[in-house]
Amino acid sequence: MKKYACGIWLALAALVQAAGLHFPETLKEVHAPADAKTVPAEFEFTNRSDKPVTVAKADPTCSCIAVKIKDGKLRYAPGESGLIRAEFDMGNFSGTVDKVVAVWLEGDPADKPSVSLTVRVHIPVLVALEPKTLRWDLGGESGPKTIRIEMTHSSPIRVTGVNSSSSHFTQEIKTLEDGKRYELVVTPTETTSPGMAVLRIDTDCDIAKHRIQQAFAVVRKPTPSEAATPP
Amino acid sequence: MNALAQAACIAAVALAAAGGTWLVKGPPGRQLHCDPAVLKPDEVCLDSIPAGDGVVWVDARSRADWEKNGVPGSLLWNLDPAEDMQAFEAGVAMRISETPRVVVYCGDENCGVSRQVADRIRNLDLGAEVSVLHGGWRALSEAGRVRGSSPSP
Repeated sequence: MKKYACGIWLALAALVQAAGLHFPETLKEVHAPADAKTVPAEFEFTNRSDKPVTVAKADPTCSCIAVKIKDGKLRYAPGESGLIRAEFDMGNFSGTVDKVVAVWLEGDPADKPSVSLTVRVHIPVLVALEPKTLRWDLGGESGPKTIRIEMTHSSPIRVTGVNSSSSHFTQEIKTLEDGKRYELVVTPTETTSPGMAVLRIDTDCDIAKHRIQQAFAVVRKPTPSEAATPP
Repeated sequence: MNALAQAACIAAVALAAAGGTWLVKGPPGRQLHCDPAVLKPDEVCLDSIPAGDGVVWVDARSRADWEKNGVPGSLLWNLDPAEDMQAFEAGVAMRISETPRVVVYCGDENCGVSRQVADRIRNLDLGAEVSVLHGGWRALSEAGRVRGSSPSP
């Protein structure tokens, strides 16, 4: 009996060892150029166990990442190294974005991959809006509020127009520094009824995905937590 | 008795016990269970969401899945780079102004996309209460609240 128990323990210990691919880095930070469409991140690994290890699958948690294992090789002998390449499609993302690639090795439970790799992409914000949303309380004061617009590109970016989805608000663009800093001043026509506007800010940015920005203006009842907060 | 015979005996006894349980108790219950005690801070159980117009449903799955069997009246917002994020923002913002409660659902229980979409909606700062549905689309399907589904018994 002792012999069997010992055998089972050794088999389990071997399994645990077999589950060992060593990744020197599980987080890769990438600083993407403003005009990049995709950015790659590569994760090297080595089989440091004494058994061959098979990669069952490498699954991105977002359709914005394509994952490839170098040369399509899935089985790694002890001591052998490999490379997982994740290619992030920048789409309309901006700011800092974390995306995870889960790696299952043969024998991993379906809900527990052996390794989680993170690609942290820093995407430049060429046209920064602060704040992105202006709010007025229903029944409150209807004075103007301002969105500051700051261009951080190497070349000037000019605001060429602003459109509102609602006549509930009026808007005016002010140039503080041509091609660099602007203010969008928004005023609700009244605050006695709820209202919402999508403000579309057109620019002459030479990179298409940064050209149009969007902000919001809303007149609404304050939520209970906001109402309880002193002004 | 050698080791192989012993293993076979154990397997046979286990199989008989499992079969007996199946006969007496029926097949294993695979229906999703939502325990409010173990919910993550931003999650909600489907039971706590009334059917009707009080909620903006946001589907974080692919466009094809949303069109096939999304919640009737739901909005699409996923992280597919081919989609127009500004259109998603505008669509959700317009609905939030009428209904300031948003619930995001994804394809399965462990899908992180719904949480990322919920964060993006919160970042719009429109004052909406934004939650993630525990159990995702499966919970909705079992409750008969998606296109082409009927409630599970």
